[in-house]
Amino acid sequence: MISHTNQQIAWVHLTSRLRQTFVAILGVTFGISMYVFMNSFMTGVNDLQSDLVFTTISHVRIYNDVPRQKENILKKNFQEAKAIHIRNEKQILYQEGIKNANEITDFLEKQPEVIATTPQVNVSVSFRSGSNNINGILSGVEAEGEDRLFNMTNNMREGKWSQLKYQANGLIIGNVMAEEMNLKVGDNLTVQTFDGISRNYTIIGIFQTYTKTIDRTKAYLNIASVRQLISKNRGYATDIQVNIKNFDATSLFSNKLTALLPFQVEKWQAANEQLDAANTIRGILALAVSLTILIVAGFGIYNIMNMTVNEKIKEIAILKAMGFGGNDIVQIFLLQAIAIGFIGGLTGLLLGFGLANVIDQIPFKLASFNTLPMAYRAKDYLLGFAFGMLITGFAGYLPARKASKVDPVSIIRG
Amino acid sequence: MLNAMKTILKTEKLSKYFHQPQTFQVLKELTFEVKEGEFLALIGKSGSGKSTLLYVLSTMDTDYEGALEIKGEKLTGKSQNELAAFRNEHIGFVFQFHYLLPEFSALQNVMLPALKLGRCTKEEIEAKAYNNLDLLGLKPQALKKASQLSGGQQQRVAIARALINDPAVIMGDEPTGNLDSKNTDVVFGIFKELAKERGQTIIAVTHDDDFAANCDRIIEMSDGALIR
Repeated sequence: MISHTNQQIAWVHLTSRLRQTFVAILGVTFGISMYVFMNSFMTGVNDLQSDLVFTTISHVRIYNDVPRQKENILKKNFQEAKAIHIRNEKQILYQEGIKNANEITDFLEKQPEVIATTPQVNVSVSFRSGSNNINGILSGVEAEGEDRLFNMTNNMREGKWSQLKYQANGLIIGNVMAEEMNLKVGDNLTVQTFDGISRNYTIIGIFQTYTKTIDRTKAYLNIASVRQLISKNRGYATDIQVNIKNFDATSLFSNKLTALLPFQVEKWQAANEQLDAANTIRGILALAVSLTILIVAGFGIYNIMNMTVNEKIKEIAILKAMGFGGNDIVQIFLLQAIAIGFIGGLTGLLLGFGLANVIDQIPFKLASFNTLPMAYRAKDYLLGFAFGMLITGFAGYLPARKASKVDPVSIIRG
Repeated sequence: MLNAMKTILKTEKLSKYFHQPQTFQVLKELTFEVKEGEFLALIGKSGSGKSTLLYVLSTMDTDYEGALEIKGEKLTGKSQNELAAFRNEHIGFVFQFHYLLPEFSALQNVMLPALKLGRCTKEEIEAKAYNNLDLLGLKPQALKKASQLSGGQQQRVAIARALINDPAVIMGDEPTGNLDSKNTDVVFGIFKELAKERGQTIIAVTHDDDFAANCDRIIEMSDGALIR
C-alpha cells in the first residue's frame, strides 16, 4: 500500500528541485532511447542481411549425394567376433539426383511449415563466347517457382524473368558475366557441359544479386532445356529448394525431413555459418552496448538520489520524529526514482523511435539498399522500458534504504 | 491535586552510556514519574544529560538500559516502526531549531503528522490545522512556504504541528531558545493553556530560568542524576 501522504511528499521533493529531476530524467531518456535505437538498427541490419542472403539461397535445400557416413556392411552379416578388414572401400551413388522431383515437391507443399518449393537442375558448365571462357553453373529452373522463392523479378536489370518460361533457348546471365564477356541481351552464348556437349543459347535477360560470385558464374535456363542438355527425364532435379515460414526454425524442420526423405537435407545456417554467427554477435553487441548505457543512466539516478538523501537528511529525521516509519521513507524516495524512471522511459521510447526514424531516412547507397536499415519491433520498445524501470528502481532503492536507516537523534541533536 | 491524577510517563532505572571517545555514563539509573496535565521543566547545566534524557523519553533514542512506559504502554524493546507509529499518535515535538519541511507550506507542515495517522479525513485535518495556526496567530501565513517564514513564525508552526494529533505528551528541546521575549511569552502561554485546559503533559528542556520558574514542576539534573 502506497500512502497518499508519502506520494505527496515525493511529489514535492521532485518538483522543488526541477533541474536535478530533469537531469535524472534526461539520463534515463538517453539510456532507453539508445537501447531502442541500437536494437532497431541491429535488427534492421540482421533482417536486411537475411533478405540479401535469401535472394540466392533458400531456407532448406534437398539434394542427393553420397552418404556422409561409411557403413560397414559386412558387420550386418557377421555379428560374432571376427576380424574384418576392408581395404580402401568406396561409396557408390546408385542413383544420381532426384528422379521424382514432382512427387517430392507435392509432399513438401503439404507440410504446414512450408511456404514454397521449387526444383532445380544445376549443372557445372563452361560458358564460352569467342575467346572468353568462364566456368560456372547453369541452373535449370521453373520460372514461377524460382520467382516465388528468390524474388528474381526484382533482381532483373534487363529483360523479363517470366520470359524464361516461354523461351526454351533463352538464357539469363549475371551482370558481371555480361560485362566480362561483353555480352548484351540478344547475343548468343555457348554452354559446354563436362561431358562435352555444347549448345548455343540466346541471352534474354541480365540479373544482379549483388553477390559477385553468383553474378559472375551463374546463368538461368528453363528447367526442361537443361534436362534436355544433360539427357535426363522429366521430373529429374538435382536440388529442391524449400522456404519455410520461420527461417530461424530450420533445425526442427530439417530433422523431420531427414527422417522422411532418402536425401540430404541442408539448412541455410549450415551453408552460411558465418552469417548465423554474425547475426548472433550483432545481437550480443547491441544488447551489451545498450545495457551499458542503461546502467550508466542507473548510476546517474543513484548519484542524484544519494545527493537528495544527503540534502534532505534533516527532513528525513523530522519525518521520523513525527512518526514516519522506515517503510514510509523508503516509499518516499523509491517513488521519486520510479517517477523519474517512468517519465524518462516514456520520453526515451519516443526519442528512440524518432532517432530510428531519422536515421532510417539517411541515404546510404550500398549494394541493393538506399537508406540505413531499421526495424520497428514492439519487443525492443517493451524490453527497453522494462529494463529502464528495473534499473531505476534498483538505483533508487539503495539510497532509499539508506535514508530509512537515518538515526533522527544524531541529526536533530547535531 | 496533582497527586490524584493519572501517571502518564514512568521510567525505571534509566541508564545510558556514551562510548565515544570513552565509555561514560550520561544517565544514572533515573526513576521518576510524570502526571497527566503536568507542565514539567528539565533544567541543568550543559552536559548534565537533560537533552539526552529527553530524547530517550521521546522514544527516538532506544540505546538505553532500564524501562520506559508512556500511557501505560511499555515502550522498551519495541521495534523502530512500532515506536514511530506510537510517536505519531501520542507524542508531539518542538525542537530548538524549528525544523520544518522547507518546501511545504506552513499548513502542509502542520497537517503532515495527522495525514500520516490517517484518523480523520483530509478536510477535517485541514480545518484543524487552520484552527491550530489561528490559535498561534499564524492564519495569514498558512499558505506561505515554511522557508519564507521568520524564525519566530517557524517555531510557532512547529508547535501547531506538534499539537495536530492531540498527543498525550508534548516534548520540547529548548522550545523558546531561539525566540525573543515577546514570542517566548506567547509560546509559554500556549503551553500553559494546553496543560491546564486540555490535560496534555508538557516536558521541556530549558536554560531559561524565568521559563522554568513558571512551570508546575522542575526536574534539575547534574552529572546524569536527578538533584531536584
